[in-house]
Amino acid sequence: MRDVPGLPSRRTFLKASAASAAIAGIAAVPAKAEQKPEPVALTEYKPDCLKPSEWAFVMAAVARLIPSEGEGPGAIETRVPVFIDMQLAGDYGRAADWYMQGPHDAAASPLRGWQTPLTPLEVYQQAIPVFDAWCKATHGKIFAELDGETQDKALTSLQKDEMKIKPELRDFFTILLANTKEGYFADPMYGGNHGMQAWTYIGFPGARGSYREWVLKHNVKYPLGPVSISGERA
Amino acid sequence: MKKLVRVLGVLVVLGIVALLAFIFVPVQRTGPVTQLSADFKPAKGQGEYVMRAGDCLACHTNEGGKPFAGGRAIQSPMGTIWTTNITPDKETGIGNWSLDDFRAALYDGVTPNGTHLYPAMPYENYRKMSEEDIVALYDYFMHEVEPVSNKVEETRLGFPFNMRFGLRAWNWLAASYQAGFKPTEGQDEQFNRGKYLVEGAGHCAACHSPRNLFMAQDGIDDTSKSFLTGGEIDGYTAPDLRGPASGPQKWTTEQTAAYLATARNAHSTATGEMMLVVRDSLQYLTHEDNMAIAAYLKKIGTGSDKAAAAPATPVVTETEKMLTEAKPDMPLGPRLYLDNCGGCHFVTGKGAGETFPELDGNSLVTAKSPKGLISVILHGAELPSTADRPMKMRMQGYDKRLSDEEIAALATFLREGWTNKAPAVSAADVKAVRDLAHH
Amino acid sequence: MARTEKKKNVVLVGFGWTGAILGMELAQEGLEILALERGHDQNTVPDFQYPNMIDELKYGVRLGMMQKPRNGTLTIRRDQNETALPYRSLGTFLPGIGVGGAGTHWNGLNWRPMQSEYHLRSYTQEKFGNIIPDDMTIQDYPMSYAELEPHFDRFEYVAGISGQAGNINGKVVEGGNPFEAPRSRDYPMPPMHSTWDGKKFGDAARAMGYHPFPSPGGIASKDYVNEYNMQMGPCNHCGFCERFGCYNYSKSSPQTAIIDALKRKKNFEYRTNCDVLRVEKSADGKTATGVTYYDEKTGEEVFQPADIVILTAFSLHNVHLMLLSGIGKPYDPVTNEGVVGRNYSYQLTGGYTLFFKDENFNPFIGTGANGMCIDDFGMDNIDFAKEGFIGGAYWRSGQTNGQPIRSMSLPAGTPSWGAGWKKAVGEWYGHSMNIGAHGSLMSYRGNYLDLDPTYKDPRGRAMMRMTFNWQPNDLKMIQFMKSKMEPLVKSMNPDIAQDGFKKDGAMFDVRPYQTTHNTGGAVTGDDPKTSAINRYLQAWDQHNVFVMGASAFPQNTQYNPTGMVGGLAYWAAEHIRKDYLPNPRPLV
Repeated sequence: MRDVPGLPSRRTFLKASAASAAIAGIAAVPAKAEQKPEPVALTEYKPDCLKPSEWAFVMAAVARLIPSEGEGPGAIETRVPVFIDMQLAGDYGRAADWYMQGPHDAAASPLRGWQTPLTPLEVYQQAIPVFDAWCKATHGKIFAELDGETQDKALTSLQKDEMKIKPELRDFFTILLANTKEGYFADPMYGGNHGMQAWTYIGFPGARGSYREWVLKHNVKYPLGPVSISGERA
Repeated sequence: MKKLVRVLGVLVVLGIVALLAFIFVPVQRTGPVTQLSADFKPAKGQGEYVMRAGDCLACHTNEGGKPFAGGRAIQSPMGTIWTTNITPDKETGIGNWSLDDFRAALYDGVTPNGTHLYPAMPYENYRKMSEEDIVALYDYFMHEVEPVSNKVEETRLGFPFNMRFGLRAWNWLAASYQAGFKPTEGQDEQFNRGKYLVEGAGHCAACHSPRNLFMAQDGIDDTSKSFLTGGEIDGYTAPDLRGPASGPQKWTTEQTAAYLATARNAHSTATGEMMLVVRDSLQYLTHEDNMAIAAYLKKIGTGSDKAAAAPATPVVTETEKMLTEAKPDMPLGPRLYLDNCGGCHFVTGKGAGETFPELDGNSLVTAKSPKGLISVILHGAELPSTADRPMKMRMQGYDKRLSDEEIAALATFLREGWTNKAPAVSAADVKAVRDLAHH
Repeated sequence: MARTEKKKNVVLVGFGWTGAILGMELAQEGLEILALERGHDQNTVPDFQYPNMIDELKYGVRLGMMQKPRNGTLTIRRDQNETALPYRSLGTFLPGIGVGGAGTHWNGLNWRPMQSEYHLRSYTQEKFGNIIPDDMTIQDYPMSYAELEPHFDRFEYVAGISGQAGNINGKVVEGGNPFEAPRSRDYPMPPMHSTWDGKKFGDAARAMGYHPFPSPGGIASKDYVNEYNMQMGPCNHCGFCERFGCYNYSKSSPQTAIIDALKRKKNFEYRTNCDVLRVEKSADGKTATGVTYYDEKTGEEVFQPADIVILTAFSLHNVHLMLLSGIGKPYDPVTNEGVVGRNYSYQLTGGYTLFFKDENFNPFIGTGANGMCIDDFGMDNIDFAKEGFIGGAYWRSGQTNGQPIRSMSLPAGTPSWGAGWKKAVGEWYGHSMNIGAHGSLMSYRGNYLDLDPTYKDPRGRAMMRMTFNWQPNDLKMIQFMKSKMEPLVKSMNPDIAQDGFKKDGAMFDVRPYQTTHNTGGAVTGDDPKTSAINRYLQAWDQHNVFVMGASAFPQNTQYNPTGMVGGLAYWAAEHIRKDYLPNPRPLV
């Protein structure tokens, strides 16, 4: 026989009746309001899996992919690099769910999906030095040390595969960009979208899941800010 | 604490008096209220049915233990009471009990060796059971229950509660009425069947009647005005069943019967202890019996005869308007409602039939003690699988998502929202309930 | 063989929609029934519970409810000259895993095929002459719509479908789909309200003389109790249907419709994390003796004897098991002989995105079956001879979600990153809507399933190989839909409109999600030379093997397949109960 999960068995006092009712008052100590501590600054962050040179690249790259200038938060303010580091350190980075047995045909048509023998983490690890070397050869410095405008050019070259990166690494830009946007828009519990800034910016209410009364409010902008899975409000 | 001290004082005094006056007086045992013919045989299944109606299984079975082998710890402020082994095992159970012994336990709260049972055993109510049902139940325990050798830890309460003769004095106050059931004349068979189940085996008054000065049930039958007008158990409110705003009076008889049989109806769902009662007891009663209980409760309602009819067009409350507008500057309580509750219970606070209980007008929400409401918000709730409604519907708990302050704000909003009017809840109230789970 | 379990009357391979339906129906006969599920157990709470479930990254992007290819996948190639490569990470289709199967993470769109679809080959020949291309292997269902109607009805009332009837017993009902096959009664629940996009589409369609109606779906518009006394609560339009389990008891699933009621039956048992490796046959090959499964908890292979074996897994797994077990002869496209793997089909969709910069769609308010549809371009309404293709599509507009990672519509030409992208997401999120055409797909000699010669799954079995590509007939169908949709889009006067319709010569791309409507491969028919199972979904060669699911479709319908899968399951269940159990034998 099992009572409701998490509940102390209430069958307890109940039937004991007699004096039990008298004991209700328990010394009240007001709990402190839960203050969410500000997370460690990105410059102080200790990555789970990225080496310093990789971290520097990711920091620099996402700052161009979703820049801080203009309206709306950038990838840096939303802590996208933390998200990417955590994802690469976890099941995604390890391709834990994917079928990774050979034989592999990494050069097959891209339409045939992920065919490299490398995991996403390995793609980052191997592609970043290749790209940095290309940046140095082409623009004189590794990516992280280039100015913003040149970084944008270099990323465009990477996206267009101007350096003819080997097929095993050809999805590098695609996953870098995808992971950056994921970090921007995913629930904050994954390290990015800090303070739900990206949700607030576009008007996505997050994990509220309660709109029955709004279905027929046609063409009226929904006004309420987001809530996260952990209950954070903005 | 004052109350406890007072009760302790009373009991101590009674104990001393009892010591002087009653200690050597032999224990009185009530005999059969009806003489059954010698060849009386209970109908097949009757004993098990009475066991279900009396919910014996729930207390006399330990977590993960064999049925009826006892050993369930019932925590009380007086100490731990261990429920006894009521299987027919001769060494550790009731295998050596005669029918008279058995009846005395149910009617008088005494065991064959003359010691008194703690009133955790609702003999105040079982005292109303018919001789036929007593015999059927005895027959069931002796012949249909598997004997289990399980020596249950002896209950040892601290002074003065270890003075069981004190209970004798208490019994004089609480369980001294004439045993057996008295139907109400002029009422129909359904009414009296319902009355029998409610007052007797069902022992509804054990939770739903208030307690008097001596902590005995204030009202064990409908001759008492306070009978089933709501009690408090361990700080949880057991709702009133008779007032105009109470479930059995607001709902149709069919809806009340559905609630008893399935823990859910068009308006509400059973939580906490009542959910367990449905799970272990009421769902096994026949539809006719649950209808009889519902009809009886309806008839003994107090106040206006009819519950106010629902208005033709539902009134849109200020609460509903505010929630629907979803303005960012709304107070914390309604904001938390939209962020956590609105998906099921909706801005109307009306939920949906048999799935999401109404919060507007819900006795758990507006209960005198907010403990039940807080507990559900923290830990969620689960409906039992029953024949008529097999789905084990569950609400998840919010203990990890919401702080004590947030739950206090949310619960306060629920208690003041729509047409509800109940006092605010503090963070300390929430913490107290939260801490119980960590014991 | 590490161990043999006690014999059961019936073993069900897979515990999703069809496993739950067959389990319930046959449990009512008092048979001892065992369902084997390769995945884990799951219940609404805690497995789908709010708020943890509505996590776009975990379930929408990382596909937390789906099968992990690491534990078994298939290989794919576009034609017989290509070397098939493993489907290593999920993209175009998403088979589910765990109790409830794909029935837990679907969108809920529920349909009955149009009347022409049950006898598509003869309908086409009779009405339009000899226009079926040589390599197109479409064929008739061996049962009629009239025979299936009570079973569609049954499924709709068990699952709990919201909708508006358009034709009750031949009488057209205002507001419903006038082109639907006549139904014997209305839907069990009234239709859901549509969001702004569906409303706009419906109005525009009506203005053009089309016949809009609310989408029928397994999304509860009110509280509901079905024949098993199982329950649904009304939907809150949270916008997390497809890829997610419903936390609100609002989406039809085996969990909401059947499972808790089935669990009360003492003659029913289910075991999870039990992956069926093959169906075992008797010495003479004429019957199955049971199944062998891999028990993940003990790491053993287990033989489970049974009187009846029913394959109730996802369509692709049913076919894979048949190929591995020698249930039916494998299909050979060169000789066009054999039946298992034959007539594999899929779904072809396309659509428009319309941008309205001054309108608010609140895209996060949605359900999987939201919005309005038209069936004016459904199969029954198309002149195959005139248009030069066989097929049709229904159209729908209704937002299903506003999840920002995967549902961010931006005008063509928007930079994919940088300041321009960021500005665009701020400007355009919530200001666009879609209209989709959900099209049929015919079956062909060249699109089929067999065993891969190279790649093995973790249990050492040959993986299944899918040979599939888009064919000119269907691409022509979808281009036709584009040509018809364009004027309607223009009539709505959007600021920007852009289309997503495949063009002639389009190659199958496994990366973007398309649909999980994988059908065929073990099709039902009257002729054992062109079908793997007979009209009662019974294997031709082993009479105590039945095969449920969309693998039975001779070609894919223009609709989402679940309604047909449910209808066929109830149809088969009735015949097993009434005809087979009293006298086990080949029913045809």
